[in-house]
Amino acid sequence: MSVALDEINHEAEHTHMKPQPYWNPYLSGIGLGMVLLLSYVIMGRGLGASGAMTTTAAVAVNAVAPAYAQSNEFYSEYLGDGTKSPFKDWLVFEVIGVIVGGFLSGALAGRIKMSVEKGPRVSVKYRLIFAFAGGMLMGIGAKLARGCTSGQALTGGAVLNVGSWVFMIMVFAGAYALAYFLRRQWT
Amino acid sequence: MEELTTTRMNEMIDPILHIWGWEIPVYLFLGGLVAGFMIISGYFTLKGHHKHDYFSSFYLPHVSLAMLSLGMFALFLDLEHKLYVWRLYTTFQITSPMSWGAWILLLVYPALLLNTLVSIPEAFSNRIHLFDKFSEKINRHPYLIKNIGILNMILGAVLGMYTGVLLSGLGARPLWNSSMLWILFLTSGLSAAAAFVHLVTTDHIERVLSAKADNAFLIFELLLFALFIVGMLSSTEAHQNGIHLILTGPYAAVFWVFVIGTGIIIPLIIQLLAVNHKINHTPIAPIMVITGGLLLRFVIVYAGQISHWTRL
Amino acid sequence: MNAPFYKFDMFGDEFSLIVAFIIGIGFGFFLERAGFGSGRKLAAQFYFTDMSVLKVMFSAIVTAMLGVFYLSWIGFMDLSLVYLTPTYLAPQIVGGLLLGFGFVIGGYCPGTSAVACSTGRIDAMVYFLGIFGGIFVFGFVFPFVKDFYYSTPMGKITLPQWFNIPYGVLVFAVVVMAVGAFAAAEWGEKKMARKQAEL
Repeated sequence: MSVALDEINHEAEHTHMKPQPYWNPYLSGIGLGMVLLLSYVIMGRGLGASGAMTTTAAVAVNAVAPAYAQSNEFYSEYLGDGTKSPFKDWLVFEVIGVIVGGFLSGALAGRIKMSVEKGPRVSVKYRLIFAFAGGMLMGIGAKLARGCTSGQALTGGAVLNVGSWVFMIMVFAGAYALAYFLRRQWT
Repeated sequence: MEELTTTRMNEMIDPILHIWGWEIPVYLFLGGLVAGFMIISGYFTLKGHHKHDYFSSFYLPHVSLAMLSLGMFALFLDLEHKLYVWRLYTTFQITSPMSWGAWILLLVYPALLLNTLVSIPEAFSNRIHLFDKFSEKINRHPYLIKNIGILNMILGAVLGMYTGVLLSGLGARPLWNSSMLWILFLTSGLSAAAAFVHLVTTDHIERVLSAKADNAFLIFELLLFALFIVGMLSSTEAHQNGIHLILTGPYAAVFWVFVIGTGIIIPLIIQLLAVNHKINHTPIAPIMVITGGLLLRFVIVYAGQISHWTRL
Repeated sequence: MNAPFYKFDMFGDEFSLIVAFIIGIGFGFFLERAGFGSGRKLAAQFYFTDMSVLKVMFSAIVTAMLGVFYLSWIGFMDLSLVYLTPTYLAPQIVGGLLLGFGFVIGGYCPGTSAVACSTGRIDAMVYFLGIFGGIFVFGFVFPFVKDFYYSTPMGKITLPQWFNIPYGVLVFAVVVMAVGAFAAAEWGEKKMARKQAEL
């Protein structure tokens, strides 16, 4: 046993990994498209993300103020009829998969690292405040548009949904319109 | 003339008994976890690693005491007549797993306490004179230390098996009526315990060792699950219906995704890569293993209470 | 004709959740492979320095679109059973704009923020909390914006139906457009790289 311990000790120097380069965007895009296609073929529906977060939010509100949550049409839709847990939802399980898949990919490529993504010209605090504000806008926008980039643009885009294409164009328009004013954050 | 015939296969007479809430699965999980802790820390004590600064030999017995007490508290919450808890200790029923459990737990506490005294962490030393004196006395006899280690390992194994036997002993529920349950729960407890050490230790050697041990336990656990499932499927129709509750029925999603998927297979992949230096050690995999172990108890206890002999 | 499998009752709700988890793993894996766990890489799209978002998104859309088109053409899949989110033009225009603002301010979208969280990006975790904040705000004001939320309904409608042109023609048009966009993106990236090199 102690021999085994010593052995480990010798090879035990911390694994230092250089992050590997990202895949070619077209290749990862095709992979993503195949996953989406698989989802259509097996489930008859596309991917999503914000729906799962809404379920979580609805459950949280329901836990704090059940009467309010059930009377609010927006939340009650996500709470279901009470015969099964609202978390037993397709999107919730899908997003858990997304987190696991992202972690696996990141771990394999040596990209797991606690860090803050920002340009060199802004502080961490500045970045985090903007991240929160951006998240809030995104939450409101995604609910208003009935989906986010995955649930609307990607999913609806591939089946040529009118609303999804309009939505996608507006996302790019909105982001490009504001990009100039936020260049300090990123470049 | 109309004749009414009723049998025990009547919902009014033989109802579904969903009487165990969250307390029992939590107790079973903590019991299994402590069993794993005892085997690991007992092994470290036996091998004389208490002289090194390992978490397993220094703090694991203390953590075990706390976790076990927490588990006992959950069990206590489940008791209908809390004031009569002492009555468990006025009798010993050889055919009752409950009675066995109560007595095993009574032996586990002193064994754990002895193990804490083998090497008192610096933070706790010179506080209680009696403990320090006792510790000194033990340390003068190396064979005593070895015996404490063995005692902890044996009692840990018994405790871990007992958490499964407790359910198997209740023959009224076909899903629990499996001879695999005791070893399944013991292995699951061991893997959760190894994952816990992997998660909290600061020592690199110990981290690698616990990850390697955990991988072995997880692989073994997968094998046991296969045997458990095959065994149930090749048994009576009641058993088949019971196992289908977790394979395809209302507990299937939680079972496959959280117990098998994120509880065993994915952390196994991550940890295999980590011990082979392909990726760094992260706390993610052990947390997944521990959560999977907890959910396993919930799934088995909840689904077991629905499984039934008569309603086919 | 036997796809989508779920709609033909090949498996139940419980199993669909397991499918969801596995499909999610694939989704997350490719998002991370593409580099979408990094806010900087995502935001670079809007500064023309790295057009990965456009390239990945359009190659994914084209792949899935061609696949769906082919499978329904050979009669393997019933396209009418694939879920379409109903279109409500005005709220989707406003929602899209807000989401675009949120994208460049926050640096992620909900799906990519999940991936970024799992690879340890702290800003993505804060962003993730922000999304919940946004959902709470939306839930709170929902009674007041309900009329707008349900305004300009167009039902479940696809572009071919809207323009009244055959499905195949529109698929072809999207492919042409995507290839054009890829060429433009490559050209733009090169130009920006040269411009930055000059600085």
